[in-house]
Amino acid sequence: MPTELVVPEAGTRELSYAEAIREGLAQAMQADERVFLFGEDVGVYGGAFGVSGDLFHKFGPERVIDTPISELGIAGAAVGAAITGMKPVLELQFSDFVTLAMEQIVNQAAKIHFMFGGKATVPMVVRLPGGSGTGAAAQHSQSLEAWFAHVPGLKVVQPSTPHDAKGLLLAAIDDPNPVLIFEHKLLYKTRGPVPEEAYRVPIGKAAVRRPGRDLTIVGSSIMAIRAAAAAARLATEDIDAEVIDLRSLRPIDLSTIATSVRKTHRLLIVYEGVKIMGIGAEISAMIAESDAFDFLDAPIARLGGADVPLPYNPVLEKAAVPQEDDIVAAARRLVREGRA
Amino acid sequence: MPIEVILPKVDMDMDDGIITEWKVAPGDRVRQGQILFDIETNKSVMEVESPGTGVIRDLAPITGEPIAVGTVVGWIDADAEVGASSPAAAERAKTPSSSATKEDAVGHAATSATPAASVEAATVSPSDSIRATPLARRAARMLDVNLAGVTGSGPAGRIVEKDVAAHAGRAPKSAVAGADRLVPFNPVRRIVAQRLAESARSAPHFFVSAQIDMGALQAALRHPGAPQSPERPRPSITVALAYLAGRVLALHPLLNASIEGDAVRLHARVNIGVAIDDQGDLFVPVLRDVPTHTLDDLAREFARLRAAVRARDIVPDDMRGGTFTISNLGMYGVDAFTAIINPPESAILAIGRTADTPVGRDGQVVLRPMATFTLSSDHRIVDGVTAARFVADLREAIEHPEGLS
Repeated sequence: MPTELVVPEAGTRELSYAEAIREGLAQAMQADERVFLFGEDVGVYGGAFGVSGDLFHKFGPERVIDTPISELGIAGAAVGAAITGMKPVLELQFSDFVTLAMEQIVNQAAKIHFMFGGKATVPMVVRLPGGSGTGAAAQHSQSLEAWFAHVPGLKVVQPSTPHDAKGLLLAAIDDPNPVLIFEHKLLYKTRGPVPEEAYRVPIGKAAVRRPGRDLTIVGSSIMAIRAAAAAARLATEDIDAEVIDLRSLRPIDLSTIATSVRKTHRLLIVYEGVKIMGIGAEISAMIAESDAFDFLDAPIARLGGADVPLPYNPVLEKAAVPQEDDIVAAARRLVREGRA
Repeated sequence: MPIEVILPKVDMDMDDGIITEWKVAPGDRVRQGQILFDIETNKSVMEVESPGTGVIRDLAPITGEPIAVGTVVGWIDADAEVGASSPAAAERAKTPSSSATKEDAVGHAATSATPAASVEAATVSPSDSIRATPLARRAARMLDVNLAGVTGSGPAGRIVEKDVAAHAGRAPKSAVAGADRLVPFNPVRRIVAQRLAESARSAPHFFVSAQIDMGALQAALRHPGAPQSPERPRPSITVALAYLAGRVLALHPLLNASIEGDAVRLHARVNIGVAIDDQGDLFVPVLRDVPTHTLDDLAREFARLRAAVRARDIVPDDMRGGTFTISNLGMYGVDAFTAIINPPESAILAIGRTADTPVGRDGQVVLRPMATFTLSSDHRIVDGVTAARFVADLREAIEHPEGLS
């Protein structure tokens, strides 16, 4: 039974999550001159989290463009470039700042293909460093992916591993629709095997990280990592958890979740976004509406972010989002006591 | 606001119950949760708790007669504070038809409690429902276990799947069979029931059987003249038998007839109904003008009718105007059976399975694929010899299916 999230194949080199994204960007730019990077400090500085690194020096200022501090301007210019046939990849320094770009992403990028009768497409990719755990407080730590998963016309992915970070990025750049990639700030330095070639991870396909019999734990991004770690601990107390890494929130891979629930009869959904009105509610409802309903032997349980703006205090910050201990406790309660 | 005291459903399959004893009298003050009365179902005696707090009045008398589930058997005059602060009480007091009460309960919840508190209150277990997980309910259905008899090990006594499994393991299926189920006729069944009962009552049935060698027909169907396709489905044995029976019926008008008052109508057309079961419902779509069609035509038409039955979009016109019916239960391993005539027709042909059977041929015992055909005839129209001649001609047609096309 694998307890590691990813077992590196012999001979596969390891990269960090940030390096994997950078390699994917470089390969996409190499392969297609329509691809360009766009954002605050993505050029000379190498990106707020160092993701773009030396790409400015490799591809020059015409393809790695430092922008003014205006998220609305960045997003609007990207939408326009995409309509004309370019393939912009923009970075918003912190995903929280997407609030300023909402008009262009939600009202323009998501809808143009439909409102122009399919004659225009918006092949843009938005990279959004999100999540808490860096002590960056309420305006720099949120997980806002659910907002965009609610919008028809947008795709939303949330990679948890260096492998998926590169593969989903390349799939997103290929995609003719606007795709938002929520990267996790705490994951940028994590390492894992990354093939050298330009491979794709399909958007809309979840990965079963660990097979199990007793309950299904669904998460994405860092929650998939924590769920896998929790599952390894649960195994020592004879609770056999199946861990599903969603990878994509929109489209969502309901069938993988439903298949798992039909087997394990219990579902725990873990997400960093605020619990109430969030991704977990949607997955829970989808399962309750599906034919997996009849296979539930306990209430569907959700672990999500606390109903507060994220605190600056590191102890409180940690307490406000699900941690590995919380997942272990919730899984134990669900399996042993049948309580959500 | 007065709270209704209803006769609750304490058993899954309970329709009514008998009040055996009131534990309170009109004018008594009762608290929510206090035992109000005992009810007896066909399985057990259960105590029923008060749905609210207040003063009791207008109790139903103890008559020993069953009272339908949901009937109001008393009232509690709750004082306003109690009613307003206890949405659960109002919720529990509602009858299935009383949406006004429900809305009222929701209103109270919204005005008197935080959202979290109202969720809490709403999950208080009503004494008249069974707490069980969906998987436990599914297991109960599959194991034929009555959940009312299962002890739940989950939170607040919720029944989980292992409780059902343990229960089923402990008690044999027969011991937990529970009460009978009353399943109303669906519209298809209602019509089938009426027509067949009428036929059995009014038409004096008699039966003529024959074992017929199917070898030649099977061989003919195995060697179709052209490749099969959706436009040219392979004719089944049933369709081939309809085809042959149609040609034979054209020579036996009394078997293609119906009674009208004091007369017999001899039908000019031969329209053969073929009985089809679909998920427990009986349909008899009609192949029209059988003698004028090729086997391929009939196979195509039968495929269309069968698909329409499966999709449940068959139109009444496809099932009207039959003059004779064929029912083939051979595929279910039935050797032989007799059928009730589909009124107002005069006969129906019941076909059993084809089985390798030892028969005498030229002084030798040989194995031949034989099937038993049983013709039910309405003796008001058809005599024994008429039926026998039809069966003899049918045998000849089936055993020598030359020119099958």
